[in-house]
Amino acid sequence: MNLIAFSRWLESTALSQAIQTTSWAIPGIQVIHILCLATLFALALNLSLRVAGRGLVLESSRALAERFVPAMGICLILLLVSGALLILAEPSRTITNQVFYIKMILLVTAIVLTLWLANVARREPEKPSRLHIALAVLCMLVWTGIIVAGRYIAYYIS
Amino acid sequence: MSTAFLEWLQGTPVAVSVAEEWFPLVESVHVITLAIVAGTIFLVDTRLLGLSSTRLPFSHVSERLLPWTWIAFCCSVLTGTLMFMANATGYYDNTPLRVKMVLLLLAGLNMLYFQKVTFRSVAAWDGGRAPFGARLAGLISMGLWCGVIGFGRWIGFVIGK
Repeated sequence: MNLIAFSRWLESTALSQAIQTTSWAIPGIQVIHILCLATLFALALNLSLRVAGRGLVLESSRALAERFVPAMGICLILLLVSGALLILAEPSRTITNQVFYIKMILLVTAIVLTLWLANVARREPEKPSRLHIALAVLCMLVWTGIIVAGRYIAYYIS
Repeated sequence: MSTAFLEWLQGTPVAVSVAEEWFPLVESVHVITLAIVAGTIFLVDTRLLGLSSTRLPFSHVSERLLPWTWIAFCCSVLTGTLMFMANATGYYDNTPLRVKMVLLLLAGLNMLYFQKVTFRSVAAWDGGRAPFGARLAGLISMGLWCGVIGFGRWIGFVIGK
């Protein structure tokens, strides 16, 4: 089954039809997606800042990672579920869209970098090394790239 | 606002170039900055509500996060204005946009009241549980910002692309 056929099949499923025929469903799911991405982005920003020796410095980087990483995990799950529902509702918008695949590659990269960053935070280095600061900056750049790619999905017609 | 003014705004070179070329990029920057605004505000609000960062003084959380909020907010206003200019006549009558502006104003007033009244007594509760007024301010703030994002997303569905 090729991607176009798969996309048509998804579109014909009962859940997809239900989302498509409910006027508020797509904007509603998108709002949940945006709220979760905002929370995840702010948590990632604080983890990155802390590893770079800035931000919430009254707390050890280890304690901060222990609080923020599970919260980021919850946000990520909600993002994946809401994102999956959006794909299901309008598969032709994403399944055959190159920008969507760029976003997914960036997402995997961001997850790997964030887990690495969390690992650094847990080891509580006394002073942030140049590598750690570079990692923190790169991590935020990749999360930023995901947001940009996400928005461009709507403009890149496959 | 007069139609003539909106048409003039829409016809400025900046507005035309946003409408014809830069809209997706401006919108992307708007989403990035709103993520920083809402995300950092949620972290401060949940600290007020006693749901996060409870081992940190409130003043530390707000001092470290709110500068990011303000810088990102300025960028959001700038990118939002550029998007409005690109289709000023279309957006002017847009109901979700008007509701969003009212909610933003209310969020600002909530913050102002908190800063001028509730925050004065911060020394008494900085390290512990925030008083009722502060917790209420946090809850109202979270609700209003969810509304700002909700109505903001709705604008694009009403304007009809």
